[in-house]
Amino acid sequence: MAAIGIDTVVKAYGATPVIHGISLSVRDGEFAVLVGPSGCGKSTLLRMIAGLESITGGAIHIGERVVNDLPPRDRDIAMVFQDYALYPHKSVAENIGFGLKMRGADAVTIEKKVKEAAQILQIGHLLDRKPGQLSGGQRQRVAMGRAIVREPKVFLFDEPLSNLDAHLRGEMRAEIKKLHQRFGTTILYVTHDQVEAMTLADRIAILRGGHLEQFDTPDTIYRQPVSTFVAGFVGSPAMNFIPATIAADGTALDLPGGVRLAAPEALRPRLTGLARKPVTLGLRPEHIGLDAGGSAPLTARVTLVEPLGAETLALVRIGTVEVTGRFPPDSGLKPGADIALSVQLQRAHIFDPETGRAL
Amino acid sequence: MSTIRHRLTPLEKADRRLGFAMLAPAFLLLSAVVLYPIIDLIRTSFTFLHLAQPWMGNPFVGFENYARALGDGRFHEAVWHTVLYIVVTVPGAVVLGLGLALLANKPFTIKWPVRLGLLLPWALPLVFSGMIFRWFFEYNQGIANAIVRGLGFQPLNWLSDPNLAFFTICLAIIWKSSSFVALVLLAGLQTIPRSYYEAAEVDGASDWQQFREITLPMLRPAIFVALIFRTITAIQTFDIPYAMTNGGPGNSTETLAMYIHKTTVDFLDIGYGSALAVLMFIVSAVITTGYLKYTRRDPGRH
Repeated sequence: MAAIGIDTVVKAYGATPVIHGISLSVRDGEFAVLVGPSGCGKSTLLRMIAGLESITGGAIHIGERVVNDLPPRDRDIAMVFQDYALYPHKSVAENIGFGLKMRGADAVTIEKKVKEAAQILQIGHLLDRKPGQLSGGQRQRVAMGRAIVREPKVFLFDEPLSNLDAHLRGEMRAEIKKLHQRFGTTILYVTHDQVEAMTLADRIAILRGGHLEQFDTPDTIYRQPVSTFVAGFVGSPAMNFIPATIAADGTALDLPGGVRLAAPEALRPRLTGLARKPVTLGLRPEHIGLDAGGSAPLTARVTLVEPLGAETLALVRIGTVEVTGRFPPDSGLKPGADIALSVQLQRAHIFDPETGRAL
Repeated sequence: MSTIRHRLTPLEKADRRLGFAMLAPAFLLLSAVVLYPIIDLIRTSFTFLHLAQPWMGNPFVGFENYARALGDGRFHEAVWHTVLYIVVTVPGAVVLGLGLALLANKPFTIKWPVRLGLLLPWALPLVFSGMIFRWFFEYNQGIANAIVRGLGFQPLNWLSDPNLAFFTICLAIIWKSSSFVALVLLAGLQTIPRSYYEAAEVDGASDWQQFREITLPMLRPAIFVALIFRTITAIQTFDIPYAMTNGGPGNSTETLAMYIHKTTVDFLDIGYGSALAVLMFIVSAVITTGYLKYTRRDPGRH
């Protein structure tokens, strides 16, 4: 087991930089997830840690060692690839035992360890098959078996679940989390799926355009996003962003269409110094609900209703802006109807409309 | 197939008619240039036809030509030489071709010299290759003997010593045919996902282990295709020995195809030549079917 240190790491292809000096450290035994849209550099960063891409600048530590110039085989890591990289001409047992064989382990040890790994992953009955005869989920298990059998210091996962259907993805997600709880080995996991990131990670690193936006626990990232990018990336349905102006006395927000929202006590300290300034108001759908006879209800018109069973999502118009709210399933919303809305403004996020940074 | 035949719908019938109509031109052309000559060749092989003896006509002689081949020492030698060429040049070209393909598959910054080097021998006509190598190994002015002399040895009779002549011809054939093999294998190499090597790299496999555990087994189908094609063309080896030695010294480098050519074109013995050609055709067909059976026995299994 080992910590991973990434110290102002830069990657450039020729003159084109793709990673602009990222620093983050993953603690020993931590499950860290790198997440971001495609092209954000998350896979490149993972491959640099694996040693499959060269490092243009900065340093990467695994445990005590700087690994910049070490070949992948000397970094004591195991990696699970997006396409699993199982050898079609080798049996499941040979695939799982490949790393041990390459490192010169004897046949008895290999067989014993392969059997152990197969048992943990419940693929003991598949050991004689070829990868071509397995389902997607089974292949995924074999790929993980190949990683755990080597007992490395660090596991690297490169979008391992993206080739699976939604149902299997949920199942394998749980399986990966169990593995981490069982072995406690440091994991660095790349995905573009924020749900995967939220459910798996001890800490999430959100990348955008080769920069690190935020590296924190899922809870903090959800509750205190540092930017509109992070706020919009995490959570489904996504956070509502509403252009607003702070009233001259700093006690209210003016929304487009002449709607004025009184700022609750809790929010006021954050509005001081922003009087008359335009801001971006960020509201999670769960903080928009039906008014239960509260203080200052807001009238809104329902434009779209999406019943999901456990809850109902609805698009409602406040003034001239449309926002998504989360409602109880039995709220009886009808498109075209006017409803009394309550907004938990004390939970709102205020962003700079220019930079997207949280204020 | 089920015993109850499916009745075709009008649409399917029209489709089928269109299909036959589209195939007809190719079928007619192939009939004219492949099927008819083969049938006529087989017919001729059972007759006596000697253009230097026109008064003998073209009588049917049954298996007489084939019986003659059985007792023909020169035919036996030509077959033996052909077998030797196959045994030496087919594996030789595959080994050299594999090396070239692996080289060409490396991520060079400037790709064209590698590609050109790979394609040039393939694009060159066979006879030209033979002539080029004949000049290389020419006794007085050839580069081979220039090197031998430069090293302080007596020049060698590259083309007039039977064993050396066989050796130089094999060299020329291997050089010429390895580029085709390399192209086939390069295509095969490029279908192997990069992640296989990356996973092996992370798992601690050395370059040699990666070659043995991934490249070679994954390349097996491509090697097989290359072997089949190379063997079929090696059975028909003609141009290069023809250009380099014309079968000499004596007939020590003469192949079956060359002997057939001499029998028909030089000796004008069309009947006997046809019988020899049919024998060669049978050998090719048997080897090809053998290969195909082997590949079909082994589908998808690597």
